[in-house]
Amino acid sequence: MRLVLALVLALAAGLGSLYAVTSGFTVLTAEGARRQSVAAHPRVLPDARVVDSAGHAFPLDVDLRRDGRVAIVNFFYTRCVALCLAQGALTDRLQQAITAEGLQHRIRLISISFDPRDKAPDLARYARRMGADPDTWQFLSFADPVQAQAVLKAFGILVVPAPLGEFEHNAAFHLVTPDGRLARVLDLDQAGRALEAAKQWLALRSPGGTPTSIRPQASSVGVPRS
Amino acid sequence: MMNVARGWKFSLLAAVVALGLALGLRHALTALMSLHMLVQIPLLVLAGLFAEQAWHRFHAGAASAVGRFAAPSVRWSWNAHGLPGLLLVSLIGACWMIPKALDDALVDWRVAAFKYLGLPVCGWVLRASLRESNVVVKLFFLGNFCWMSAIVGIEYMSEPIRLCNAYLQDDQDWSGRGLIALAIILPSCWLLAELKPIWRFLNR
Repeated sequence: MRLVLALVLALAAGLGSLYAVTSGFTVLTAEGARRQSVAAHPRVLPDARVVDSAGHAFPLDVDLRRDGRVAIVNFFYTRCVALCLAQGALTDRLQQAITAEGLQHRIRLISISFDPRDKAPDLARYARRMGADPDTWQFLSFADPVQAQAVLKAFGILVVPAPLGEFEHNAAFHLVTPDGRLARVLDLDQAGRALEAAKQWLALRSPGGTPTSIRPQASSVGVPRS
Repeated sequence: MMNVARGWKFSLLAAVVALGLALGLRHALTALMSLHMLVQIPLLVLAGLFAEQAWHRFHAGAASAVGRFAAPSVRWSWNAHGLPGLLLVSLIGACWMIPKALDDALVDWRVAAFKYLGLPVCGWVLRASLRESNVVVKLFFLGNFCWMSAIVGIEYMSEPIRLCNAYLQDDQDWSGRGLIALAIILPSCWLLAELKPIWRFLNR
């Protein structure tokens, strides 16, 4: 009897620990937990000054609000020779899909570099290489390293320095709404789902059609200049 | 008697050294996934394991000093055949094979506390349970741990994406190799340790 009780207690303690570590037997990785947490509770992003490929600096949240489009955001660094290139190719496909569906006035793409070495010319070069249409797909880098850390932390992006000046980082598509919130995180393999999620958000936002807050502007790229 | 007294001091020293290394070098040991999984976590378990051994030997020594024979002075009747203890240790062992646990231990103080307090306790329970259990029970739990370690190791090596946000892909491969090595080395060591009783049994 005592053995049965002890076994039940041991089982409860062990399974309880497993339950806690896996967020209730739902995730095995921290990345999975991040995606789950964002989907359940969209995160407000902290304020940060960013620089675009033309060299203009502006606060990210002001730009998100003023642009009004829902953004699919990913992180990269221009010197990357591995994952970012694959990510870039996928983002390019996403860009083509957005243009093909005529959604470029409602959905945009933003690639943000976390590498402090990346300045405006690096971004411009990279954008050309990726075949980015500047109206649909913007490239940004952070103006201030402290703010950069805060933004990366809010996104849950962990950048790990690797040998030969490389970085390894968790790559995904992030749905960021114009009110400066991170609403969803979707796998790189699910570029279609990212677009789907963006469309879903738009549909929820404006059941009738074009929402009043969104004015299609070709010149809406990095509008708040300083 | 002299021998027993030296025994507990040696075990205590081993426990202190293991704990000291695991805590003192924690920044270096958690910088790599392989060191975190295969060095720091085992060190924490070993610290608890040796502490229990020191405690047990100290009491055994005290018991023989007052004329009683060195039967375990405190019998833990809740841990019959070491089964509940080994079950608990196996499940906690499984916890630390989950990549999320390693990532969270770096950023979440609750998981860090679970690591730095829970693992020495696990080691303590493990040592006490091993003393209570017979060969069949030991073999069952050892076998169980080894296949788990090997499977997780193979999984780590074959996964094309990173499982831990805080660690590099290469490092994940090394952790996988290490876990597979553990699944080979651990039963080999056990076999060596049990060789004498097995040999004696065969030559009876």
